[in-house]
Parts: sequence; structure tokens; C-alpha cells
Amino acid sequence: MSDAQSTTMMEGRYQRAFTIAVVVLVAGWHLAGDGGQLLQYRPDYASYPFQVAIWLVMAAAIAVGSLLMLRGSVDWRLAWAIAIVALVASTASAVESPAGHMLAVNWAWGSAGWTGVLVLHRRRLAELASFLAIEAAATFSVQAWDGLTRLDLAAFLALMAWSTGAQIAVAAAVKALDAAAGRAAAAARSEEAARERAATAEIIQAARHARWLALQESTVPLVAELAAGADPSDERLRVSCAVQAAQLRRLMAEGDELPGSLVHELHASADAAALRGVAVEIETAGTLPPVPGPARRVITDAAIAILTSARSQARITLATVTAGIAVSFVADTGSVVLLPSASQGVAIEHQQDGGTLWAEARWNNR
Amino acid sequence: MEQQVTVAIIEDHPVVTEGVASWIRSDPGQRVLLVHTARDLTELHGVARPAADVIILDLELSGELVTTQIPGLVSSGYRVVAFSGHSDPSIVMETLDNGAHAYVSKEEGSEHLVEAVLAAAADRPYVTRSQARAMLSDQRPGRPELSAQELQALLLWFQGMSKASVGRRMSISENTVRQYISRARAKYAATGRTAPSKDALLARAIEDGVIKPGEIMPYTSFASAAANHRPSLGTPGQ
Repeated sequence: MSDAQSTTMMEGRYQRAFTIAVVVLVAGWHLAGDGGQLLQYRPDYASYPFQVAIWLVMAAAIAVGSLLMLRGSVDWRLAWAIAIVALVASTASAVESPAGHMLAVNWAWGSAGWTGVLVLHRRRLAELASFLAIEAAATFSVQAWDGLTRLDLAAFLALMAWSTGAQIAVAAAVKALDAAAGRAAAAARSEEAARERAATAEIIQAARHARWLALQESTVPLVAELAAGADPSDERLRVSCAVQAAQLRRLMAEGDELPGSLVHELHASADAAALRGVAVEIETAGTLPPVPGPARRVITDAAIAILTSARSQARITLATVTAGIAVSFVADTGSVVLLPSASQGVAIEHQQDGGTLWAEARWNNR
Repeated sequence: MEQQVTVAIIEDHPVVTEGVASWIRSDPGQRVLLVHTARDLTELHGVARPAADVIILDLELSGELVTTQIPGLVSSGYRVVAFSGHSDPSIVMETLDNGAHAYVSKEEGSEHLVEAVLAAAADRPYVTRSQARAMLSDQRPGRPELSAQELQALLLWFQGMSKASVGRRMSISENTVRQYISRARAKYAATGRTAPSKDALLARAIEDGVIKPGEIMPYTSFASAAANHRPSLGTPGQ
């Protein structure tokens, strides 16, 4: 596993921890807070079994909501469905509370609000705020229907300030912590990317050096052979010379491309083909744009398919074109090559002219 | 038989001179006659009459780039075909801008050098793949505007297709392919620094119907603008 993956996992773990904290908070509130209130005011309710049934409905909503949140992202329709169940339950509980001191014995308002926090806290804060406003309006309507004294109004406002305020604060805190975890992971990722770049540059340097050494071993004997009077018209000798010349040219032409660059990957494919005796030249035209990894893979797959079918020579070119890059191959494949199909924004075209194949992989960044 | 084209080779590596001479000798039509070889340009200075129709010029003589010498050679009446191990697009562009007829990289020599010499002698455009590459890479503000067809023909040619294959790909005749590529080259002759060789190439292109006078960029205004402000070429020694 790469470290980039592990930083993403780290970010995921933090988010999960925050979700667990919210689940524990909401479940604890429902059990201890609301449950305690329900027990305390048992004689005051018109129908105690009804209130217990509503409490159970709310508990079920919280349980389902918790389960869904812990399993990952929740569809907005499902989240709102759970929130609305809690809203209806809390309103029913308020309606069934004694008219005189509904607000005093009401346990369900806070509980419904926390259920909303549970299922909506990863969505936009405005959605949660709307839900809490609807919930407050519903409870207020019940109170207004029963008759509204100044004392009731004061109690309503106090309760709203306390419970809705706390609920919004918790949701906002989770959002802030999520963002902080995201930033921490991004910082770790960029640090990791820099390390990876440095490491890759070293690998490229080492690979280049190794190729240079390998060339010493293959070119020097060839030159010695020629110097000793080998016949330059010998077909085998000509092929070896062409291959060595192409390899030398590539080695000299190789710039300090970014690690993981397309040119570098194509050079690697060309080196593999050179071992089979295929002379490969690579040329670029224009300032090449960076090509994303998946698109690069499609292009290098095409390169491998063509180079493995090439008999003796191949030319690879990379050219900047409008909105992208055109990578082309001309090789003496002799027959049609099975090319990868177009994907990842890469379109592939080809034309066979006698024994020569032309193919072009064009990546478009739009 | 038509009159042979006379050629001089300016090259500081004798083995390369020998190789070029052998390509000239092995031309089946014997269309080119090698009349002079030299390791530097000193012998060509101060000669009243051009010693040859065309000079094959190695751009790097004794470790020094000689692109700035091209305008002098051109105004002495030579046509210059640059033959170089450098294939950097900016060097190619500078060479053409200084008045060279064609640019042949050392890898392209066996296939293109003799043909490029013949084209230069006739003031006709000759575009090698390395030249096409330089034109495709050109991002200078004063570059000529090439049509989509010209660009496509140049791209396919640079990619390594034969002109016949380019024609098949673009559903046009091989002749039209040549015309597009030549027209792109002629447009370049109409831009940048003025040189008799560029004028000759342009005049011939108009005469041959490769390009219409209306397709050429306003010559004087660009030349005067270019003379005052040429930041991207960086001609050494200026």
C-alpha cells in the first residue's frame, strides 16, 4: 500500500471517529436525558404507554440512523426520511403532552433535534438548520394551539437557545474537524508526493546509469568488431549497429522529464524492444502537457503492443496538439496489431500501409 | 542530361565528409557534383564567384555554432543546406530564419540530404521531419499562421508516415500533401529576417502555384517589426 493511500485512510479514520462521537452523544442523550425525563414526569403524561411508544420509535430512528452513518455516506432521501420520522414522532409526543406544562415535560423536541444532527451533520449546515427550524416551529405551533402565555414563550425561547444552539454547535464542530483532518491529510500527501518524486528521480538516475553501463557492454564490443575488420554489409552487424545507435540517441536525447512522465515510460518500453533487436527512436514536438496516470497506461499499453510486434524499427513521436497530446507510432509490424480500446480520454486510430503500421493515441484533456 | 548541381561540403569531421560524398556518389542519376570540401568557412570568404551552387553546412564547426554565418553565405549567392547533429527545434528555426534552405539532421542524411540539395538548387522548399518538428514546436509570437490541413500534414509527416500514407490518411493525393507541406515552409520564408534565399524560395513557390501572394503574411510590416523586436530567437553573437 502506498503512503498516499494511507493518508487517505487516516483522513477516513478521523471522520469515522467524529461520526462515532456524534452517535454516542445522540444515543446517550436519548437514553439518559430523554429516558430520565420520561421517567421523572411519568404521572404527568396523558398516556404514558403512548409516550414510551414514541420514545421507542425515536430510539429505532436513532439506531437506524447510527447504523447508516457508521456504514458510510447516507443517501439524502434516507437521511431526511429518518429526520422526518423523528419530527413527526416529536410533534405527536408534544400533542399528547398535558396542555398546561407541555414544554416542561417535553422530552421529544431535543431528541428529534439530535436525531437530525445525527443524520444530517455531514450534509450542508443549512439543511440541518432548516430541519431544526421546522422542528422548533412544529413544537411552537403545538404550544400556540394549547395557548401561549408569556411564561411559555420565555420557556420556549430558552429551550430553543439551549438545545438548538448545542445541536448546531456540535454539527459545526464536526465540520471543522473534518476540514482539519482533510488539511492534515493533504499536507501529509504533498510531503509524501515530494518524497516520492525525489525517490523516483533517484531511480531514474540509477536506471539511466545502468543503461549507460549496459550500452558500454553492448556498444564497445560492436565498435571493436568493426575496428577488427568486420564486414559492414553483414545484415546481423547492420541490425546491431542500428539498435545501438538508436539506444545511444535515446540516452542522449533523454531530458530531465518529470518522474512518471509519459516520455520516460515510453523510453522504458523502447529499451525493452531494443533487447529484441528493434531500433526505436523517440521524438517530441512542443511543450508536452502532463498526462494523468490512467491515460498514460492506455498509451503505454498501445506502445507495448506495437513494439512487441515491430520487426526491426519503430518511431515514436509525442506532439502537443490542441487540448492534449498526440502520441504516434510507426513500425514495421507486418500485420495489424491488437491495440487497446479507447478509454481514459485516449482515442486510438491506426492505418496499415503494406507492412507499416501507423497508430496514434490522442489524449484530450477536455 | 541536365546540368549537375555543384555542391561544397563544410564539415570538420572527415569521416562525415566522406559519408556525405558517398551518398552523393551513389545517387543513381548522378545529379550532384561535389566540387569542394573544407573544414571551416575561411576558404569561402573573399571568393568573388560562388564556388558551388549549394553548401552542405555542418552547423557546429570546431565546437562552435555557425548559424550566424548563414546570412553572409546566402548574400554571397550560396544556397545553404544545414546538416547537423543538433535537432533542437530552436536551432532549426534559427537556421531557417537566417536563410538556410533546408535542415537535415544527421539521422536523416542518407535519405534526405541529396534531395534537399537538389531542392535548394531549384529554390524549392524541402521539409525534413526534423524541420516539421521545429515548425510544430514553434511558439514564437511572430510565427506564420498555418492552416489546419497544413498542420495535419506536417504532424503526420513528423510522425514518420510516408507522404503517400499521409495522403491516404487525409484522403488527399500525395501531391496535395507535398503542396501543404511546401506551403507551410513558404509561409516561414515570408517571415522573420529578410534574405535573398528566402525571397527566391517564396518567388519560386508563387511561380509553382504552391502559395498565392495573398496567403503570405504582410512582409514588410513583419520584417520591420521583427528587426526591432526579436526576443525569442536569441541569435548568438548579436
